[in-house]
Amino acid sequence: MSNKMLTLMMGFVAFLILAVGVVFVFALASGGDDDAASDTENGGQEKKPSNAAAGKICEGNILYVPGGEPNSLLDPIQVGDVETSEYVVEIFGGLVTLDTDLKVQPDIAKSWEVTNGGKTYTFKLRDNVVFHQGGRRVTANDVKYSIERAADPANASPTVKAYLGNIAGLKERFDNKAATISGLKVIDEQTIQIDLIEPSDYFIFELTYPVSFVVDKDQIEKNPRNWTKQPNGTGPFKLAEFTPAEKIRLVRNDRYHLGPAKLDEVVFELGGGSLLTRYENDELHVGAFPASLLDAVKGGSNPLSKDYRAVPNMATFYFNLNPTKAPFDDPKVRQAFAMSIDRENINNVLFYNALRVADGFLPPEMPGYTESVTSYKYDPAKAKQLLQESKYAGRLPRVVLSYSGSGGTPGDLLVAIQKGWEDNLGVTVELQAIDSSAFLREQRQGKFQMLSDGWSADYPDPENFLGKLFASDSPLNYSKYNNAEVDKLLQAARRETDRTKRYDLYRQAEQKIVDDASIIPTYWPVDHQVIKPCVKDYPSVSMTIPKYRYISIDPKAK
Amino acid sequence: MAPGLLGYTIRRLLWAIPVLFVISVIVFYMLRLAPGDPVDAILAKNYQEEQAQILRKKYGYDQPVHIQYIKYMNNLARGDLGISTRHRDFTASEVILPKIWVSTQIGFMALIITFALGIPVGVYAAMARGTFLDPLTISSWLALDAIPAFVMVPLVQWLFALKLGIVGLGYQGVWSSHMILPVLILSLPGVAGVARLMRASVISVLNEDYIRTARAKGLKEQTVVITHITRNALLPMITVIGLSLPGITAGALFVEQLFGIPGIGQESLAAVLAPDFDVILALVLFGSFLFVMANVVIDIVYSVVDPRIRLGAARGS
Amino acid sequence: MAIAGTADDLYAAGEIARPRRYRTLRALLRKKIAMIAIFYLVIFYSAGIFAPLVAPYDPNDQELTVEARRQPPSSEHIFGTDGLGRDLFSRVLYAARTTILFTLVVILTGGLILGLGLGLLAGYRGGWVDTAIMRIGEVLGGLPTLILMLAITASFRTRINGLSFWLEDHTWLGDDAKTLVKFTIIVGASVPFAWIGSSRIVRGQTLSIRESSFVLAAEAMGASTWRIVTRHILPGVMPLFVVGLSASMAGIAGAEVALSYLGLGIDPPGASFGNLISDAGFVRTFEQYPHLLLASSMPVVFFFFSWNLLGDALVDLFEPRTHTQG
Repeated sequence: MSNKMLTLMMGFVAFLILAVGVVFVFALASGGDDDAASDTENGGQEKKPSNAAAGKICEGNILYVPGGEPNSLLDPIQVGDVETSEYVVEIFGGLVTLDTDLKVQPDIAKSWEVTNGGKTYTFKLRDNVVFHQGGRRVTANDVKYSIERAADPANASPTVKAYLGNIAGLKERFDNKAATISGLKVIDEQTIQIDLIEPSDYFIFELTYPVSFVVDKDQIEKNPRNWTKQPNGTGPFKLAEFTPAEKIRLVRNDRYHLGPAKLDEVVFELGGGSLLTRYENDELHVGAFPASLLDAVKGGSNPLSKDYRAVPNMATFYFNLNPTKAPFDDPKVRQAFAMSIDRENINNVLFYNALRVADGFLPPEMPGYTESVTSYKYDPAKAKQLLQESKYAGRLPRVVLSYSGSGGTPGDLLVAIQKGWEDNLGVTVELQAIDSSAFLREQRQGKFQMLSDGWSADYPDPENFLGKLFASDSPLNYSKYNNAEVDKLLQAARRETDRTKRYDLYRQAEQKIVDDASIIPTYWPVDHQVIKPCVKDYPSVSMTIPKYRYISIDPKAK
Repeated sequence: MAPGLLGYTIRRLLWAIPVLFVISVIVFYMLRLAPGDPVDAILAKNYQEEQAQILRKKYGYDQPVHIQYIKYMNNLARGDLGISTRHRDFTASEVILPKIWVSTQIGFMALIITFALGIPVGVYAAMARGTFLDPLTISSWLALDAIPAFVMVPLVQWLFALKLGIVGLGYQGVWSSHMILPVLILSLPGVAGVARLMRASVISVLNEDYIRTARAKGLKEQTVVITHITRNALLPMITVIGLSLPGITAGALFVEQLFGIPGIGQESLAAVLAPDFDVILALVLFGSFLFVMANVVIDIVYSVVDPRIRLGAARGS
Repeated sequence: MAIAGTADDLYAAGEIARPRRYRTLRALLRKKIAMIAIFYLVIFYSAGIFAPLVAPYDPNDQELTVEARRQPPSSEHIFGTDGLGRDLFSRVLYAARTTILFTLVVILTGGLILGLGLGLLAGYRGGWVDTAIMRIGEVLGGLPTLILMLAITASFRTRINGLSFWLEDHTWLGDDAKTLVKFTIIVGASVPFAWIGSSRIVRGQTLSIRESSFVLAAEAMGASTWRIVTRHILPGVMPLFVVGLSASMAGIAGAEVALSYLGLGIDPPGASFGNLISDAGFVRTFEQYPHLLLASSMPVVFFFFSWNLLGDALVDLFEPRTHTQG
């Protein structure tokens, strides 16, 4: 019997230890209640020794960054998403590229000239551009092949028509009415001439978009189905490893014609997890910084303050009100909705001022941006009055706001704005989360009343935002926005070859679009990053460009 | 016994076939009839009807659903699980097989820990029956069962990674110290269930005649416990393995998501949201098949080691 | 977190003799832990049911100022406020209401109608009906439930919205239509998996009662099937059925919380524990604002815990083999 008691007592002691452990966890957790700020500091101090001991990632020459899962193939003509572009622009190259100031620079081309009133572009190619595998030299025929391959209807490139549609004969090829593209002429091995349908100043920017990048004909013909697993490009990095949802590993291309990268490798971690914590634990060189910590980091009280930097993102969030559906067929209703969103306050309270309130549709980093464009200011009294004057006064139909809800976060932003409409206009807007593919379908079919949407830059020209999204003849205009005056301005801007005049036309169009309130711009996003001090020359750039070749790791820097 | 066993096995497996068939039909139709398909997701904002038609033709989505289903089943019979539309360079099996391997290893570790903790806790509770220690022990483990993984994860991440800084969080392969937290979070909720059944099992063995005889012979309590009870009470625990599987897979979905582990939990969530038709179907069929098989095998093993048990009687799902 | 596990433990219990009704209740009242669990559940249920009366604020009332957002608990807001300056306590009360409504609907449809109905049918009819129901349940029970529920909700969400608007306009349901229909879809996703455990228990019980002398006698005297089932079998089945339900309550409620956490359940701004937790459940948010996660998860964790304890206590009473000797 005493034995039994002994066993029981020992077990009970073991249980007590466990219980104390559990209590300890909760005691610590609730301790955070009292003084969260000092806790954060303590946490930082405690981590310092481990940081110093583990500073291993700064010793090698491999950069570890968080990456997005590519939604598309690593094939330039299939890319339509930001995530895949990030890898494709490093692996492949085109005639021209963008530098860190978003200026067009020669890549495979050595130089180019524009003649025929802006309708003919002639490119001289470098003689030292080679493919990663096999080392074959890139010639004008490769450029021609790559663009014709993009236009081949059998390849179903989603972007070729919208981004290269101005090349003479491309649409005919795309519609299978021609076997080649008449506007592409190989003059000699080092020279290619591209004829356009109408003069274009921004065509050179469109060529920085992946769809025209050069691919290896030999490889594709040999292995048409699986070549994208070992894509053979001319970019600064080669694909070494791609494990879905785990990692993408790029290694340096030593023969890169613009000067090889300084890093040996870039490893993109696709798994996610808590990025900032992994950054602090020295598993990543770059981390994302949560908005709620911004005050601490800007005030310098957070240990990560010195690593922090804000990188504007050339993108715009907006609401799309369908002008063909009641009640948004009445401009007064649209304006009333626009005027009852308190963007400043929401940015301040919800986002800790992590975003920028969008005064217009074009983000400030966009060439041609001007502060003279203004969007509707928060004015609840005027909004109420406008709604009263509208034809739907007092008998507003149900309004449904659809948003792509395929993440785990039901947007606080939308709930705050919804409440604003309810309080200021007395309208209860239904929030409808739908998964992304159904959302896109609803948008395309124009069934929606109101959408929450966003657009990010493909190339740094206003045409990419205004022309692509709102010209009524643009294949990418799914907004149902259609304004003859705006169309006229956009068309004139498209053909204008004087850049200053062109930007001015876009400014006029933009103001009209914003005034119509069918598009209500809300915010321009900002990326809040932390970067290890040992990472040198990490470009601060607002859109996707080949950037990893500039970066180096200095093990001595603290 | 053997012919009965064989017949039983065959009957169980035969029943699984129509049910799996019905499930595959339902899931297949459900996915196809939902608004929005993988082609919408692939083309996204750049959607043009021409390309969409080419892609739909390529993937076969342009055909009537029953034809698609027959084709799918045809391919499945040849071991072809189809293609992934979310990871466009990969076939469905290329996507899921490595992830199944990752999740299997983690799940297996979790299972071992669940049993390694649950069995002694159960024996202890049984020994302590009649005292307040018995309900207290079981209850405290039930408390862990009540905390959902997505509440547990931020708590332990904060404590062990941020506050104490003793473990890392990134995925660095299954066999690294970074897996300690995820595996523990997967295994601890199941301990209560195992302990409860172990306790019941030990108590019923304790009441058996031969234990009373052993005790009457003056054998030490510990000897009795270790030799007889452990051996006779452990047997029924085999059946519980099947019972623990659903809990571990459900937990894996959140744990893998929040720790960034490339396993089937993370993949199934992403596949459903994408949507990625063939991968969803492959995961559902694989999961179902695994569970059915696991339970059949467990039943058979159990009836072989303990012929007294009527087949199909003492089993969970 | 087990989604549908606990009820299955009771399968073995399905074959045991039933204690007399009132003895069970008295035995239960003697268990202190069970009493604590019942006490908490009473609080939870009354808080949820009377949420509109109890809640100090409107759960959707925002206060968009820097001072009002993410306040720690105070006398004004006893659970603090969330990112939109909403009173967290009121939101928790309404989330409890969501949980209660959801579990109620699942139990009525999946548990009572399917579980009890199919269990009785299988046990009473026997033969191939029995085999079919049990085998289907077995395989359904062995499916990766959560993945299937995800697929179901993701597929039908958009369609269901249209239906809810139609109902709102064309029936007397009005505003409740939306809540009802959104519920229907989560419930619809949960029910196919919710009946299995209880139907097994009911079947086992039915089988044993069916063979008892008084049922056989009643049959011999020409009593109708309806009479036999309602008079003789149901009273015998109910206690164990209730035990089974209480053991699986945490799993049923957990399904809604998990789906809402993943953004596939209750749409914002509706309150559900899943939504509340997903707003607060990132490690950095927790580090800075621990009250958000603790206040929105602890009530539902205790809810799960209480049902687990109660279920455990009940199983214990119905399992003679493990009956505590003190």
